[in-house]
Amino acid sequence: MSDRADAGTPRGIDPRGPRFAAGITALLLLVDVLLGLTGLSTQRSGDASFGWFAYQPLADATFRPGGGWAIQSATLAQRALDPAFLLLVLLALLFLWGLLAPRTAPWGVLYRTLVQPRLKPPTELEDPRPPRFAQGVGLVVVTIGLVLHLAGVPWALPIAAAAAFVAAFLNAVFGLCLGCQLYLLLQRAGIVGRARPTAA
Amino acid sequence: MTLVPALIGLALLLAVTVAIGAFVQWRQGRPRRDIPHEVVQPARLGADALGQTATLLQFSTDLCSRCPGVHRTLAAAADARDGVLHLDIDVTHRPDIAKHFHILQTPTTLVLDRDGAVQTRFGGIPNRDVLELELNRLTAEPANV
Repeated sequence: MSDRADAGTPRGIDPRGPRFAAGITALLLLVDVLLGLTGLSTQRSGDASFGWFAYQPLADATFRPGGGWAIQSATLAQRALDPAFLLLVLLALLFLWGLLAPRTAPWGVLYRTLVQPRLKPPTELEDPRPPRFAQGVGLVVVTIGLVLHLAGVPWALPIAAAAAFVAAFLNAVFGLCLGCQLYLLLQRAGIVGRARPTAA
Repeated sequence: MTLVPALIGLALLLAVTVAIGAFVQWRQGRPRRDIPHEVVQPARLGADALGQTATLLQFSTDLCSRCPGVHRTLAAAADARDGVLHLDIDVTHRPDIAKHFHILQTPTTLVLDRDGAVQTRFGGIPNRDVLELELNRLTAEPANV
């Protein structure tokens, strides 16, 4: 049953590449959490310091003095122009890139051109599929945050960014691939990986 | 939210993440012995036989970044000793096996004794030294235990 000998063959990738990419992603996600916490997503509509409707509060039907969230009374354009939202859209696109074409994804290219030549050759190569699956998990988490934010749910954006940050940071610093761990759970629940018959 | 509470929140997030990572890494590679000492039937796993003195039973999936490395470690440990067999079971398409052994993460490694009873369980990457100690213990055991 020792049939995994093919898993380290020349098709493999340098395992430090995905970790380098996860480091950059984690940093960007941390910035996004900060933007989300200081931006529209967690803004109370009573705050006069930074409110677009402060000049005519009583004209707004959903205005509740002191209570309610700014995002609930913001227009769709205002929600979409929130800096945290824009940065998270960019990160979602990068996740999508990493999922669809991992070989041309920007951080991977940056790693191979700038970082890898300065390091020793990798002691062992890694299967490219687990990190690619993890990109898909990141994309799903971030997309949920984006959609909820557009729907006017307060705190959705920083929480989604924080969840993605935890996964990216653990991958970069500790080499733990949460998305890969998730695969077994999803597969046991019958959500993924049942395309082939179970009798292997 | 103003900048100061946001930065405090950010620091908390960072601290919690580091704590999670440190905890998971600390727990990984530590053997667990408080487990049901079930006797494993090799035929149910698709294997012919178990090792004569001990078996390293590894569970992997297709999408497991650490499994190939653990496979090499365990194969080397098994090759270095007589009567120790390394089995690597791909549970990607066998959720029944994963469910039976309560596998929530891969790699998971079970150390079986000469009778095929589960003695030790490693979640994640087994510590090489601890693994050697386990094998020493199992090899030194008299055959009738």
